[in-house]
Amino acid sequence: MLKSPHWEMMIVWYFFFGGIAGGAYFTAAIADVFGTARDRAVVRAGYLLALPLVAACGLLLIADLGVPSRFLNMLSTFKFWDPMSIGAWAVGVFGMFSFVSAVLSLSPSETAARVRRRVGLVGMLFGFFLASYTGVLLSSSAMPFWSDARLMGALFLASGASTGIAAITLALFATGHAAGEGWGKLKHADHYSIVVELVLVLALVVLLGAAAKPLTAGPYAALFWGGLVGVGLVVPLVLDLVASRARTVGALAAVLVLIGGFVLRYVVLMSVQA
Amino acid sequence: MARTLAMFTDTSLCIGCRACQVACKQWNELGLEVPEWTGGYQNHAHFTDKTFRLVRFVEEPAGKPNGDLAWLLMSDVCKHCAQAGCLEACPTGAIYRTEYGTVNINQDVCNGCRYCVSSCPFGVVAFNEETGTAKKCTFCNDRIHNGLGPACAKACPTDSIQFGFRDELVKKAAKRVETLKGMGFKDAQLYGADSGGFLGGLNAFFLLLAKPSTYNLPADPKLPQRNVVVDSLLSIGSALAVGLGVLLAFRTRGKGGPDA
Repeated sequence: MLKSPHWEMMIVWYFFFGGIAGGAYFTAAIADVFGTARDRAVVRAGYLLALPLVAACGLLLIADLGVPSRFLNMLSTFKFWDPMSIGAWAVGVFGMFSFVSAVLSLSPSETAARVRRRVGLVGMLFGFFLASYTGVLLSSSAMPFWSDARLMGALFLASGASTGIAAITLALFATGHAAGEGWGKLKHADHYSIVVELVLVLALVVLLGAAAKPLTAGPYAALFWGGLVGVGLVVPLVLDLVASRARTVGALAAVLVLIGGFVLRYVVLMSVQA
Repeated sequence: MARTLAMFTDTSLCIGCRACQVACKQWNELGLEVPEWTGGYQNHAHFTDKTFRLVRFVEEPAGKPNGDLAWLLMSDVCKHCAQAGCLEACPTGAIYRTEYGTVNINQDVCNGCRYCVSSCPFGVVAFNEETGTAKKCTFCNDRIHNGLGPACAKACPTDSIQFGFRDELVKKAAKRVETLKGMGFKDAQLYGADSGGFLGGLNAFFLLLAKPSTYNLPADPKLPQRNVVVDSLLSIGSALAVGLGVLLAFRTRGKGGPDA
């Protein structure tokens, strides 16, 4: 009976990149404020990842519109009860924070670091928002399954954290910073967020009961259980715990987490709109 | 604010002629669509971006008072809800309420995000690929601002679709339900007439001869936005849990050194 909004691959990528951008940013901000000078590589990687990703997010959102040239119309209103409305604003504001933080993260000066930490503490709130609001957007619609999923925003946030941290991990691995102290802390943070994400995925499925069928049974079940829960969460967690000293294993685990994050958004969006 | 206008669709009078469906298409210049045969006479299966009035043909075994098969006919339309999910969802303000209480989509402002499409509890709003905007029944916005009623009401040969001031139509409808009950239609009921009921009442309300689910209507539709607060609080909880974990990971000075 109800109509699908036809949010397809562009929006799947938007959700995925938005999660990583938000997650990488808030991880960087927390590492900057609460970590040590030896975590600088994490901070820089996080902020430098967030910026191009949030730019890509903006482009994807605009391109998906029916009339892209009218995207600014969304800035003519602000409905605080409407995730789509706040989201349109927040993507822009977060983009600005990402830009400032990225620039500041390239500077070695102490003054820049002080400013950067303050900016990061505020920007990270927008990072949390970007990673999670799309889940609330879905659960505040009338679509079956989405509208029953009270934990969708919470789950998207945890996934944003795990994928953001995974992206930073890969960046460190690729740029030869994997031997730093930040790597170990990142791994700890990733274990923790994977566990939170697993708990939330299972809680979501349990709370949904019969309404979870689009995910847990039917054509998307294999992707959900195998792709997200298995390959995207359980396997990387086990890999990390078992082979924690091997950097390559750590990088592989990060790749799997990223795949899982993509699969999550893909199955959530597509299973309802088949 | 002018007096609220409404459409009262009395399905007990519908003969399934579809003059309403055609008049709507003609007046709004909605254009030809490939027919969608549903196994019965109904065409299409549901509202589209070019079908705003849709006659539903529901076969109900033992639906008649004497136990015979009843063919329940209903001219379905956008409900112009007093609390409209589509309106609350729209991020551009394109969806607005007129001074008559009707809900309209400004085709010059809509940017085609499709959130309204997913936010209607009745699945009314549809996306038009050619204009890139969302479309639905306008309550013949141009006609009602020029002293006329909607095209569907005008075309209906049995007065199944009645147009007028909401308060007057609700009174008429209540009387009609009593008459039908007296005739043996024990399940005759109003749907959306009560402004204290779901969604604040519908400005396009109905008289049904069976319970709403028989017509595939939701029995107790709610505003999808009612969940925003709880869902947001749960997200904030998740952010606190995750944020705390990351904070603790970075505060402990790398348990066991860089190989941890």
